[in-house]
Amino acid sequence: MIPPGLAIAQPMPDVLPPVKPRRGVLGFLRRYPTIAIGGGLLLVMLCIAIFAPFLWTKDPTSLAPALRTREPGAQFWFGSDMLGRDVYSRVLYGARVSLLVGFSVAFFASVIGLAIGLFSGFIRLADSIVMRVMDGMMSIPPILLAIALMALTRGSVQNVILAITIAEIPRVTRLVRGVVLSLREQPYVDAAVASGTGTVMIMWRHILPNTLAPLTVQATYICAAAMITEAILSFIGAGTPPIIPSWGNIMAEGRALWQVKPYIVFFPAVFLSITVLAVNLLGDGLRDAIDPRLAKKL
Amino acid sequence: MDRRNLLKGAVAAATVTAAAPAISQNAAARTLRFVPQANLANFDPIWGTQYVVRNAAAVVWDTLYGVDENLVAQPQMVEGETVSSDGLTWEFRLRPGLIFHDGTPVLAKDVVASINRWAPRDPMGQMLRAIQDELVAVDDRNFRWKLKRPYPKMKYALGKCGTPCCFIMPERIAGTAGNAMISEFVGSGPMSFKRDEWVPGARAVFEKFGRYTPREGAASWLAGGKRILMDRMEWVVMPDPATAANALQAGEVDWWESPISDLVPLLRRNRNILVDIADPLGNIGSFRMNHLHAPFNNLKVRQAVMMALSQEDYMRAVVGSDTALWSVLGGFFTPGTTSYSEAGGAVMKTPNMDAAKRLLAESGYANEPVTCLVGQDQPLLKPMGDVTADLLRRLGMNVDFVATDWGTVGQRRAVRNPPGQGGWSMFHTWHAGADCVNPAGYNALRANGNDAWFGWPSVPSVEAGINEWFDAPTPALEKAAIDKINREAVENVVYAPTGFFKSYQAWRRNVSGVVKGPLPFFWGVSKT
Amino acid sequence: MWAYIIRRVLATIPVMAFVALFVFSLLYLAPGDPAAVIAGDQATPEDVERIRASLGLDRPYLVRFSEWAFRILQGDLGTSIFTNLPVGHMIAQRIEPTLSLMIVTLCLALTIAIPMGVVAAWKQGTWIDRAVMGFAVLGFSVPVFVVGYLLAYVFALELDWFPVQGYTPFAEGFFPWIENLVLPAVALGGVYIALIARITRATMLEVLQQDYIRTARAKGAGQASILFLHALKNASVPIVTVVGIGIALLIGGAVVTESVFAIPGLGRLTVDAILRRDYPVIQGVVLLFSFVYVLVNLGIDLLYTFLDPRIRY
Repeated sequence: MIPPGLAIAQPMPDVLPPVKPRRGVLGFLRRYPTIAIGGGLLLVMLCIAIFAPFLWTKDPTSLAPALRTREPGAQFWFGSDMLGRDVYSRVLYGARVSLLVGFSVAFFASVIGLAIGLFSGFIRLADSIVMRVMDGMMSIPPILLAIALMALTRGSVQNVILAITIAEIPRVTRLVRGVVLSLREQPYVDAAVASGTGTVMIMWRHILPNTLAPLTVQATYICAAAMITEAILSFIGAGTPPIIPSWGNIMAEGRALWQVKPYIVFFPAVFLSITVLAVNLLGDGLRDAIDPRLAKKL
Repeated sequence: MDRRNLLKGAVAAATVTAAAPAISQNAAARTLRFVPQANLANFDPIWGTQYVVRNAAAVVWDTLYGVDENLVAQPQMVEGETVSSDGLTWEFRLRPGLIFHDGTPVLAKDVVASINRWAPRDPMGQMLRAIQDELVAVDDRNFRWKLKRPYPKMKYALGKCGTPCCFIMPERIAGTAGNAMISEFVGSGPMSFKRDEWVPGARAVFEKFGRYTPREGAASWLAGGKRILMDRMEWVVMPDPATAANALQAGEVDWWESPISDLVPLLRRNRNILVDIADPLGNIGSFRMNHLHAPFNNLKVRQAVMMALSQEDYMRAVVGSDTALWSVLGGFFTPGTTSYSEAGGAVMKTPNMDAAKRLLAESGYANEPVTCLVGQDQPLLKPMGDVTADLLRRLGMNVDFVATDWGTVGQRRAVRNPPGQGGWSMFHTWHAGADCVNPAGYNALRANGNDAWFGWPSVPSVEAGINEWFDAPTPALEKAAIDKINREAVENVVYAPTGFFKSYQAWRRNVSGVVKGPLPFFWGVSKT
Repeated sequence: MWAYIIRRVLATIPVMAFVALFVFSLLYLAPGDPAAVIAGDQATPEDVERIRASLGLDRPYLVRFSEWAFRILQGDLGTSIFTNLPVGHMIAQRIEPTLSLMIVTLCLALTIAIPMGVVAAWKQGTWIDRAVMGFAVLGFSVPVFVVGYLLAYVFALELDWFPVQGYTPFAEGFFPWIENLVLPAVALGGVYIALIARITRATMLEVLQQDYIRTARAKGAGQASILFLHALKNASVPIVTVVGIGIALLIGGAVVTESVFAIPGLGRLTVDAILRRDYPVIQGVVLLFSFVYVLVNLGIDLLYTFLDPRIRY
C-alpha cells in the first residue's frame, strides 16, 4: 500500500537531452577523428600508388635530357628533373615504393619482433641473452646500421626493407616482451599452467590476443619511421636505386638544385609528409581507441 | 656592413670571450678559403692517384719540370739539362737555393730517391725504367740518367700534370715503400701542409713557406715563378652543393673549385661572385666495356652500342643545359689541342638507333645480361649510369643494373671473372682532358690485353699506332700516328667516349689571380 | 644500491661485445674494397692488389678479429686505412661538433617540448591541445633535410641572422659557437620535440587524474605549481626513458644535419667511412656510439631511482 502523501512522482522534464549513443562506423569515426583523417589520407595515397598508371602518368624512367629542369607547366605537371624525367609520374610511382617499404617493414618487424618477444618473454633462459642482443642492436644507431647493411649488397628495394626491418625489430621485441612479462603473472595464466595447458597454447590463447592491440599501434609508428628512414637513406646515397623512383631518391637527386628548381624536392616532400602524417594520426587514433593508457608506452 | 656582422660586433664588444683571440681583420684577409672538388682523405700523391690529392700536392711539393699552358714542359727545380748526342745520357743540374720545409736543402740524392718512388707507379716512368741503364746523383746539385734507348718525352714525363706527378720529397720520406703511405709531409713547394690542423673529410690547412725561392718570370700552370700572395689557405670540404653555393654567396668561402652547372646561374646573379670555365682541357666521359666476356667481347655488339650512343644525352645529363660546357667528340683525344683527331670518328658524332639495332641483331647477341656497375655517390657518374640504362634498354639489351657505391665499383672492376660470377660488363668513369691529350699517360687508351686498364681491350693495331707515336721524330709523323690510333680505336671500340665536358669554377670578386687550368693554381692568387 | 649499479655496469659488457662482433662481421662480409678507392680511378689492377696486401686485407677472419679485439681492449682503436691517422685522433677531432650539436638540440628540445606537452595535457580536448599535438606530429613527418634546407634558406641566406654553414669551436667564444648551432639544432630537434611532447602529454594526463593532484588542488596549490611541481615530477620517468632511447635517433638525424650544414662531426665521418670501407674508422665510431648510448641509458636507469622513489632495485 502506498502511504498517503506520497504522490506518484511525475516524470521529470528533460533537463538534459538524451545522449544518443553513437553507433556504427560513422559514429566510430566521429568519435575518433584522427582515425578518420589519418585513415582517409592513407587510403588516398594507397589509391594513388595502386592506380598510378591510370592517372595520366608517363613512364617514370624515360629520360629526355634535352628537356631537363623544366618548370611545372602543361607538359610536365610537376616539372622535369635533371634527366628530363617527369616529376609528376615519378612522384606518383614513388608512392608505391615508399608505401611498400613502410608497410613491409612494419609487417616484418612486427611479426619477427612478436615471435622473438613471445619466445623471450616466456622462456626465462633465452630472455637475458635475447635482451642483451636486442640492447646491442638498439645501441647501434639505426641509420648507420641501415647504411652498413646497404653497403653490404647492392641498392634495391628488398635490401632497404631488410636493413630498416632489422633496425626496428628490437623495439617491437621489447614491447611484446613487456606485455608477456606483465601478463605472465595474471591469475588466469597461472590457472592455465596449473591445468596443464601447453606453453604454445597459452601463448596462442591468452598472451597473443593481448599483444595485438599495442603491436598494431606500434606497427603504424614503425611504418611512418620506415618511410622517413628510406628518405634519409636515399639522401645519403644508400637507398633505392634511381631506376625505381621513391620519394626519398627523387628528393636526393634534386637536393643540389633545390634553390633554383625547388619543385623537384618540394612535391615528393609534401607527399611524403602527408603520408607519414596520416600514418601517425592513424596510429594515434588507434591507440586512443584501444586504450589511452598506451600513450605512456608508445 | 651587413646586419649579422653588426650584431656580431656589438655582441663581441659587450662580451668577454675566452681563450684564443679571434683572427684580426687583416689576417683574415690573407686567408683563402677554398672548396675542393672532393675530400682530401689522404695525402700521398704517389700512393693514391686521385685528382684532389694531386691538386693539394702541387702546392706542397715542387717538380723537376712543369708543363705550361701549352703543355710544354719547362724547367722548374732544374736549372738546365744536357742530353748526349746519341740521346742516351741526360744530365740535370738543380737550381740553387732549393729548400725543404724542414729547412734542409734539396739535394740530388733526394731527387733520385723521389724518382725511384714515382717511376714504378707511372706509365711513362715504367717505360723509362724499362730502358734505364743507371740513375745516380753525381753530386749535391747534379744527377744523371743513362738510358739504353732514346726517350724524347723525358721532360714531359717529369713535368706532366697527369697523376702521379714526379714530386720531389726528402730522401728519407721517398724511401717509404710504394705500397705504404708517407707519414710525414715535408714539402719542397711554395706552401707547407699543416698536418696538426688537418681534419680529413672536413678541412686541410696550408701556410705560405717564406723560404721558397720562386723562379724568375711569370707563372704559367706548373711552370714559371710560383709566387704565393696569401698567408694561409684553408680547404673546406662541403659535401652538399647547395650549402657550398650558399656559403659562397654569404662570403663564408672564397673559391669553389667545381660548382654544379645548374647552380651557376644563381651564382652569376650575385654581384660579388665571378664564374668562368675551370679547365679548358676539360674531361672525357667514358663508357668502359669489358672485352673479356660476353656481350662486349663481340666487336659488333660494341659497335652497335657506340652507334646508338648519343653523347648529347650523356652530356646534358652530366653537365646540364649550358652548351658552353660540353661538345660531342669525334675521337678519343682532347678537343682544342693539336692532337685532336676526328679520323674515323663520324659514327661517334651522329647517333643512329635503328642502324644500331640492326647491327645488334647481326651480331648474334643472345640476350646475355649487361652488368652495369654504377657508383651512386659520384655526381658525374650517376647520371651517366641512368642514361646508359635507358640507352641499352631501348637498344634491346638485357640490363643488369648494379647501383652501388664507388668503392664497390672500384673493387669489382678489377675482377676478371665473367659477369655472372662477380665480374662486370661495363662501368662509367671520366678522364681529365690533360691526360688524354696524347698517348703518353693515356692509360685508358692502351689496348695491350691483360696489361691494359680495366676492361682489358686487346687491339694490336692501336698498340702499333701508339708505339709509332712514341717513336715519331717529327710532329707530322706524330699526327699521322694519332690519326691511325683514333681510327683503329673507334673501329674496335676500345671504349665508348660519352662526350667532352668542362666545368665551371666560381670565386668571390675580392679574390684575384684565379686562372684556368687542369688543376687549381694557388700561386698568384690574392685576396683583398 | 651499489650492487645494482655494479650489476648494471657488468651487464653492459656482453652488449658491447655483441656490438663489436656484429660490426666487425658486417664489415668483413662487405664487398667493396677500400684499396680500390684509395688507388683511385687511374690505377691498374696491380696497384690495387699492392695496396690490399699492404693493408692486410687478405688475412682470415679470426686473425683479424682477435687482433682488433685485443687492441680495442687496450684502448687502441687502430689506424685509418685512408688517412693513416690514428682512429682515436680522428674521432677526437670530430667529437666536439657532434657533441655540441647534440647537447644544444637536447636542451632546445626539452625546453620546448616539455612545456608543450604540459600545456596540451592541461588543456586536454581543447583546440590548444589539438594544435600543439598537431605541431608535434608534423615534427616527425617532415624529413630532417627538408627542414634544414628551408631554415638555411630563410634564416641564413635571406635574413642573414645566422651563418649558412660551418662550425666554430667553443674556444673561440660562446656566441660564435652557438650561432652556428642554432639552425642545425632546430632542424634536428623537430623529431625529438615531437616525441617528447607526446610522451609528456600522455603521462601528464594520467598523472593529473591521480588522487594526490586533487588533494593538492584542494589544499589550494596554484595551477603552475600543481603542473610542474607535483605532476611533472611524477611523470618524468617515461619522459626520461624516451630521452634515452631518442639518443640513437639523434645520431641518425645528426648525420644528415651535419651534411646539410657542413658541420665537421662524427656523423659525416661515419658515413664517409662506410661508403669508403674505412674499416677501422667505422668500427671505432660505431663502438663509440654504442658505448655512449649504453652509458646514457645506464645513467637514466640510475636517474629513475631519484625521480621515483618507488623504483627500487
